[in-house]
Amino acid sequence: MYWSGLSAAANAAAAYQTGQTGYPVGHTPTGTYTTQRAAGSTYDTGYQTAAAAATHSTAAGTYPSAAASATYDYGYGRTTQTAAAAAAAAYDSSKTYYAQPSSATAYTGADTHYHNVFSTDKAAYTNASAYTTTSRQTTPVVTPKASYTGTYPGAAAAAATATYNTSPYAVQTTTANKVCCQGCNYLNQPTNPLPTTALPVYMQQTSQPAATVAAVKTTGNTWQTFKKPGTMQGKAQKPKAPPKPQQLHYCDVCKISCAGPQTYREHLEGQKHKKKEAAAKAGPTPSRHGASLRCELCDVTCTGADAYAAHIRGAKHQKVVKLHQKLGKPIPSTDPVVVGGTTKTSTTTAGAAVGAKTTTSGGTAATTGTLTATDGKKDDLKDDLLDLKEKDVEPVGQEYIEEIKNEEGKVISFNCKLCECRFNDPNAKEMHMKGRRHRLQYKKKVNPELVVEVKPSLRQRKLQEEKLRRQQPGLHQLREEMWRRREEERLLEEEERWYWEERRRYEEECEYLDWCRRYPRGPPGPPPMMPPGMPRPPFMPGMPPMMPMRRPDSSDDRHVLAKHAEIYPKEEELGAIQKIVSNTEKALKMVSDYLAEVDAPKEQQVKPKAKKEVKEEDPKGDDDKKDGEKKEDGPPRMLKGVMRVGILAKGLLLRGDTSVQLVVLCGDKPTRTLLDRVADNLPKQLAVVAPEDKYEIQRVVEEAALVVQNIGEQRISVNVTLTSPIMREQLLHDGDSQVTAAKDPPDVLDKQKCLDALAALRHAKWFQARANGLQSCVMVIRILRDLCQRVPTWGPLNSWAMELMCEKVIASAGQHLSPGDALRRVFEALASGLLLPGSPGLLDPCEKDPIDAASPLSAQEREDITASAQHALRLIAFRQIHKVLGMDPIPPPKFQRGGRFTRKRRRDNSTGEGNDSEGELDGGDGKKDKKEDGEDSKMDMDKETK
Amino acid sequence: MVMTRGRGRGMRGGMMRPMGPGPHFGPKMKQFVPRLPFDMVLCESAFPRVKPAPDESAFTQALLKRNADLSPTPAEQAAVLNLVTKIQAVMDNLIVDPGNFDACQIEEVRQVGSYKKGTMMTGHNVADIVVILKTLPTKEAVEALGKKVCDDLRTQEPQEVLVLTMLPNDRGFEISNSEATVRVLVTTIHQNLRKLDPELHLDQKILQSHLAAIRHSRWFEENAHHSTIKVLIRLLRDLRGRFDGFEPLSPWMLDLLAHYAILNNPSRQALPINSAFRRCLQLLAAGLFLPGSAGISDPCEGGNIRVHTAMTLEQQDLVCLTAQTLLRVLSHGGYKQILGLEGNSSIASEMSVWDGVVVSALEKAYEKPPERPPQDDDTDNMDADDDPMETTDN
Repeated sequence: MYWSGLSAAANAAAAYQTGQTGYPVGHTPTGTYTTQRAAGSTYDTGYQTAAAAATHSTAAGTYPSAAASATYDYGYGRTTQTAAAAAAAAYDSSKTYYAQPSSATAYTGADTHYHNVFSTDKAAYTNASAYTTTSRQTTPVVTPKASYTGTYPGAAAAAATATYNTSPYAVQTTTANKVCCQGCNYLNQPTNPLPTTALPVYMQQTSQPAATVAAVKTTGNTWQTFKKPGTMQGKAQKPKAPPKPQQLHYCDVCKISCAGPQTYREHLEGQKHKKKEAAAKAGPTPSRHGASLRCELCDVTCTGADAYAAHIRGAKHQKVVKLHQKLGKPIPSTDPVVVGGTTKTSTTTAGAAVGAKTTTSGGTAATTGTLTATDGKKDDLKDDLLDLKEKDVEPVGQEYIEEIKNEEGKVISFNCKLCECRFNDPNAKEMHMKGRRHRLQYKKKVNPELVVEVKPSLRQRKLQEEKLRRQQPGLHQLREEMWRRREEERLLEEEERWYWEERRRYEEECEYLDWCRRYPRGPPGPPPMMPPGMPRPPFMPGMPPMMPMRRPDSSDDRHVLAKHAEIYPKEEELGAIQKIVSNTEKALKMVSDYLAEVDAPKEQQVKPKAKKEVKEEDPKGDDDKKDGEKKEDGPPRMLKGVMRVGILAKGLLLRGDTSVQLVVLCGDKPTRTLLDRVADNLPKQLAVVAPEDKYEIQRVVEEAALVVQNIGEQRISVNVTLTSPIMREQLLHDGDSQVTAAKDPPDVLDKQKCLDALAALRHAKWFQARANGLQSCVMVIRILRDLCQRVPTWGPLNSWAMELMCEKVIASAGQHLSPGDALRRVFEALASGLLLPGSPGLLDPCEKDPIDAASPLSAQEREDITASAQHALRLIAFRQIHKVLGMDPIPPPKFQRGGRFTRKRRRDNSTGEGNDSEGELDGGDGKKDKKEDGEDSKMDMDKETK
Repeated sequence: MVMTRGRGRGMRGGMMRPMGPGPHFGPKMKQFVPRLPFDMVLCESAFPRVKPAPDESAFTQALLKRNADLSPTPAEQAAVLNLVTKIQAVMDNLIVDPGNFDACQIEEVRQVGSYKKGTMMTGHNVADIVVILKTLPTKEAVEALGKKVCDDLRTQEPQEVLVLTMLPNDRGFEISNSEATVRVLVTTIHQNLRKLDPELHLDQKILQSHLAAIRHSRWFEENAHHSTIKVLIRLLRDLRGRFDGFEPLSPWMLDLLAHYAILNNPSRQALPINSAFRRCLQLLAAGLFLPGSAGISDPCEGGNIRVHTAMTLEQQDLVCLTAQTLLRVLSHGGYKQILGLEGNSSIASEMSVWDGVVVSALEKAYEKPPERPPQDDDTDNMDADDDPMETTDN
């Protein structure tokens, strides 16, 4: 783009050069053309057309010098008159063209000045009809361009303009080129043909901003050089120019007379005059007013019939009339001239408008011409006038005009609430209510459907143009589209990066969660590294698909994870428990072997009893066959196997837990004798298994258990409960357990305890099948276990009911829940009355009969737990989960709102780019670090204590 | 690398602002997926009944009785209907033939609110009518319209001249006779909404709420015509009137809650009134209207707006805790007190004993955030409060 701009500028310069050299007089641009006016003017014209051509060539982009020569030929071939017209055309076009850069306005003003002086001097210009023709000849002015532009597709806009003057609407429909359409659409607004030539240029300018700016610079600069001598000369010649019969200094532009030459000069240099001049020169100005009435004499445009009448009555107008009478100049009738406005765009109005314009620049003699032209079309004008008057008839918004009264209740002034203006005169009030401003306000604030005549201001025009550009898929829009697409691509890319980042984070979490879940019941052996942040295999195959879960580090999640890390047992604890449990298990196996060995020869002593029992039960229990077969197969073992149950099996160990449970399944109903035998033999076997450790063994007959305890700093006890499936089978199959119980050996252990042990086994199985696989479930159960231990209100909630409830509640969500959400959902369930009377209750899946797992809870306990959960739920909702968890709040990670930054940074860190430590504190990293630190300190402490 | 980072950050920051945390395409690190709270009705299958459901016929009877007490009498209904019909006729006339009345132009007149929905309560004979103006609703225009309607009514019914009153207010005007009141809520067509000037016109929020009222009544007609819903709405409104804690719940929230409680269940059959009433309390107690909950998204607004976000956090807390206490009271058999058949509203705020079980009231959980980080621009209380909570809790 930049390149084309440069070349275009070069083209412009080239075009200018050719124009210059081609000129026969051979004046240099800075030459003094003032000596010979005609030549100068032609030169001026030639130059201007060349400049115009240059601009065009700039706009078109790739112009050969032929373009410039064509323009030059044209300028040269015409008479002075037409050349001047061309100059005017070129000037006009360049003026509107340069209207954007503020620096350029200076020279336009000067140029106008020059033209004015020039036109008053030269008789050739005083003929108004000639003028109208010249301005009509704007069409031929452009046509040559059109002819050459025929070869340049880029300049088709010029062709469009050429045709525009004759039939604007046809152009609109016929031209295929979009640029043209834009130009024409835009051009429909002003009825004055003059600016139309300029507009295509403008359009092209917008499409190639760089190029035109460059062009403006070059041409603008050369113009500056002209300007200065031009204005100076013009001024010097001015006073003597008008032949004055009297000592009257009359300014045609401002319609005033001055007392003397001095004041006249001063007036000419004054701001007011220059402004007027510029206004007079600026063709489109009158047309902007839309439908308006003009007083030709005073060159005053009135917006309505009322205003016009007021003007005619006014002192200023009278003064001007007097002056003109004095000067002997013809006074036009007071009939107003309608300017612009009519949307018919008939040739008549256009002509009238042009005529009117000419008056401003043409001077006194021209006025008559204009008037004749106007008179010819008087009928039309009358219609217009009527239209105008009709439009203004209806005053609106009377109710919004307040009357302000003085103390005596006399109305002294009026206040329009809509327009926020005041007036003292009732007539002014009437005028105001009919006025455009008021109507606009009324339309804006009261009735949007009120019709207010359009008055396209500069801004509006621009807006409309903008709209057009947006509507039509032009170059501009293409560019916009490109930008948008680029932006989208960028976003997509970023999003993808995000996805991977997210995924990586998730994997970390997943690994961690997974590990937490697996570890406690995992095979004995070196446990995996505790924190997830340490070196780990980069990718674990067979990871579950992770997409549906939400990001696991909301504030709640972070708290839950931190709390979980806090209550999770230390490695030493786990190790110690692992050790004593596995030793006990091994020892029990050996006890079993030993008992089987011992029992084989001693069968007469011990076995008969048992056998008798079995035989008695056999006809009743069908399921016993297997046992019977087994017994016949090998040596009938008393102790069939040992199983982990309770928190040990479920992996719900918490920090500080020192008691775990094992269940020994016996072939027969466990008896006290059996318990004694095991208890007697176990120490020996333990000594074999772990010679270096000392264990203490207690019998707790009423619990149907024996307790193995290690002797050391951490006292860990393993409760080994003896039970047998027979106890339950019996219960399930025949209702009258009393009968069989009577036949039981006298020292059979407590039945309920044995049944409980069996239930614990079932619970462990259920847990592993249902809860372990459920996302966040185990973690939430651990948290709630901690809560039940910590908060007295929650104490009565037994762990089985709690586990069951958590599983049901979390599973019923039907989606993966992050730990924080899962915990909240459990509280939601309790808060909505899960434990209250009237609720369905917690059906125990491990029992044949429908039993509420929470049945031990009393009504008051249920009520209290519910109330507590309800409060906890609201605490969680209002970001106080730390209160529920009994911990300190974790400060939100830095850049909470834009969490993205931190992660960005982290990614950057991972590439080893920088080591800014800011980002390390948040989210997963923070947790990781914390845990590592905690672990380290713990280790240190342990070392010290050891 | 550094450049990329800088650019990325800058662009992103600039881009996020207009987009907000809504469901837009693009990198959404703040994607907040609100979750529905636990709802026993929706996961019934996970909680098979241990014992058969208790008999609730007495409760149901009490609910129906209460509803009968709350419904307007035929005389009241007739009075309201009468006045509404007259006013509607006058307005229709104004649309067809404005005559010399030019203060405003009426686009449309619609009945809305409890009158339209058939959820009116006895003793509250107020019907709502929304008038959509084609012109902009200046206070003068509204007053002129009120006068005009009133005058027309008076000419129609000369005997009512004395009792008919017209009172302009912020929302439009009220026309009442001795028996009934019609609130005429003025609004304007959508295109005019952005042209409003607070100095001159009625408040934009009010105008929008009136437009919303039209959408609400339309939605209600299409979706919530089931009579159980209407009964439940009446009961909930009564509840709201008697327990201060429910005061922040708007009628529209109650409508949606009742509709949700009755129809949003696996079988898609309307729940019986007793279950639905209990469910409303359960839902509120489980935090349906708490931050972080998906709540009920407004069916009449675009962009998934959760209706409860119209309440402040403090109000959300209050509503939730009131529902939680009432739920416990209800489960211990205190339905008569809840329905207002016995006792008073102190059960929601004071300790009470039911069958030897002590039911205690709850405390507020919401705390005002101690101080805001400086970069958080506190634009408007509610959203600024609500958003971080919502967006960071994801």
